[in-house]
Amino acid sequence: MEKVAIIGIGITPFKARYLDKTYFELAYDATKLALEDANKQGAEIAHNDLQSTVYGIYNELFERQFMPDIFINSYIGMINKPGTRIATGGATGGYTVRMAYAEVASGLSDLCLCLGVEKCNDCYDVQTGTTTPEVLNAIAYSADMTYEYPMGMMAASSYVSMVNAHFEEFGNPTEEQMALVSVKNHGNAINNPKAQSPMRITVEDVMNSRIICYPFKMLDCCLYSEASAALILANEEKVKELKVENPIWISGVGAANTDCFIGNREDMGRLYSNIYAAKVAYKMAGLDYDKIKEQIDVAELHDAFSGQEVISYEELGFVPFGEGGKWIEEGGPMIDGELPCCPCGGLIGCGHAVGATGIMSTGEAALQIRGDAGKHQVKIEKGRAVAHSIGGPGAAYAAIIIMENEEAR
Amino acid sequence: MEFQAHQIKDIIKINYRYTMGGQSKFFIELMNNKKLLGTKCTKCGKTWMPPRINCSECYEPAEWIEMKQTGTIDISTIVWYTTSAFIKAIPYAIGFIRLDGADTSMLQGIFSESLIPSKVKKGKKVRAVFQKEREGKMTDFFFVPEDEYESWIIKSEYEGGSE
Repeated sequence: MEKVAIIGIGITPFKARYLDKTYFELAYDATKLALEDANKQGAEIAHNDLQSTVYGIYNELFERQFMPDIFINSYIGMINKPGTRIATGGATGGYTVRMAYAEVASGLSDLCLCLGVEKCNDCYDVQTGTTTPEVLNAIAYSADMTYEYPMGMMAASSYVSMVNAHFEEFGNPTEEQMALVSVKNHGNAINNPKAQSPMRITVEDVMNSRIICYPFKMLDCCLYSEASAALILANEEKVKELKVENPIWISGVGAANTDCFIGNREDMGRLYSNIYAAKVAYKMAGLDYDKIKEQIDVAELHDAFSGQEVISYEELGFVPFGEGGKWIEEGGPMIDGELPCCPCGGLIGCGHAVGATGIMSTGEAALQIRGDAGKHQVKIEKGRAVAHSIGGPGAAYAAIIIMENEEAR
Repeated sequence: MEFQAHQIKDIIKINYRYTMGGQSKFFIELMNNKKLLGTKCTKCGKTWMPPRINCSECYEPAEWIEMKQTGTIDISTIVWYTTSAFIKAIPYAIGFIRLDGADTSMLQGIFSESLIPSKVKKGKKVRAVFQKEREGKMTDFFFVPEDEYESWIIKSEYEGGSE
């Protein structure tokens, strides 16, 4: 297999709504930003040099368009080249990075565009005169249409089921421990100019915010965003040929789909997809599941809901099962903690533009180990980072990406 | 000059006559006889609820069996903000119910006279209540705490099961 590097990173601001852009115009912006970044690293490339695209777009109903990728393909000038779309719920971004990696690692392409976009807030609920209930409905169609959707299942009630089961088993995360994630990620977002929800808040603010789905409260939940994110991936020969200065190497990719029916699972308080995806990715990168916290500098996690980030600390091997809540109380995942998690603000701070999210997280983690994260830069010693995506019915899909910089290699 | 956006109104709507295929018997028995049918693998004996006519673990056929209409709450939540399709129904409780004797649990609505977390907690015994007017859909039934069962089945729109 070819070695694969990220040579360009483009992320648009995450916003509640772009009235001045369609989804394909947003995708164009991220592509242009990624090309500019690659050129800043010395690549000197244009869109005509890109050989293929892997698109991450979750929801046709958001975009009001089936096969939205082909319309982007036209708009970004990638005609007469291969383009493949990935749609794996909240894990779309991470999965898209994995498949773009495969495109280059397999030798099919030397230079590949990995492009995610989502524009959800064109959905509109006429009865309440607001956006969100209709956005949530467009997402709820991802639940099983026969056995789950008619019961009023939605994203928050799906995740909360697993968090509640985890609490029943381990006594954590408590509501206060979940609130700490919200405080951390909203706070981290203050230093990320692209974030949608920068906020300095307290545990009390989170506890007092309106109840969404017991025990998740408003500030425990990410907001749906509009954004696009793009990465340019190259093989080793191309990296050398283009004389790219700071390539970030993808050293491990892992993905797993657990049973989408939560009721079929042996333990409902587990996100099994996380565990399997992490183990595969770590093994490929030559890292150790039991020592991973000591082997990486930073993790960009998929914190769609605060309680689920706490469980992810355990699933990804940062701490033993049942100790995620304690770890955040001790400050472990804080920006100055032993393993900063979501220094960019994550989904709770940045926002969740589904297809773009995991590509943003991967790009953010790459920028961290490149030393280019700006005001939310964390200390880099090992030169390795983890990006995590999870989603779909019962959070069945997960993808984990491991990256390392030139020094770590 | 300030950017002026143009927005258009639109709606995507598709009608279906969706076949439930191999699972049809579950919905027919639910509608006509207020029975809850699961399936049991002919090889490993695992019970599937919601039913599957094939065992996903053994790759052998699973046969229909009648399930108990009583069960236990495995996990639940109370929903206070939701999708446009359900916003008029809030607050409502949903949970994963393990029917007595079943190996898996199924998602269903949990109705209670007092919708508080302790009423719909893990370990609570529940029992199925059926709509009088049924159309062969999952919304034909729901669960109530066992100690509220009698008070629900005397309501004019609901009735008890076949057990």
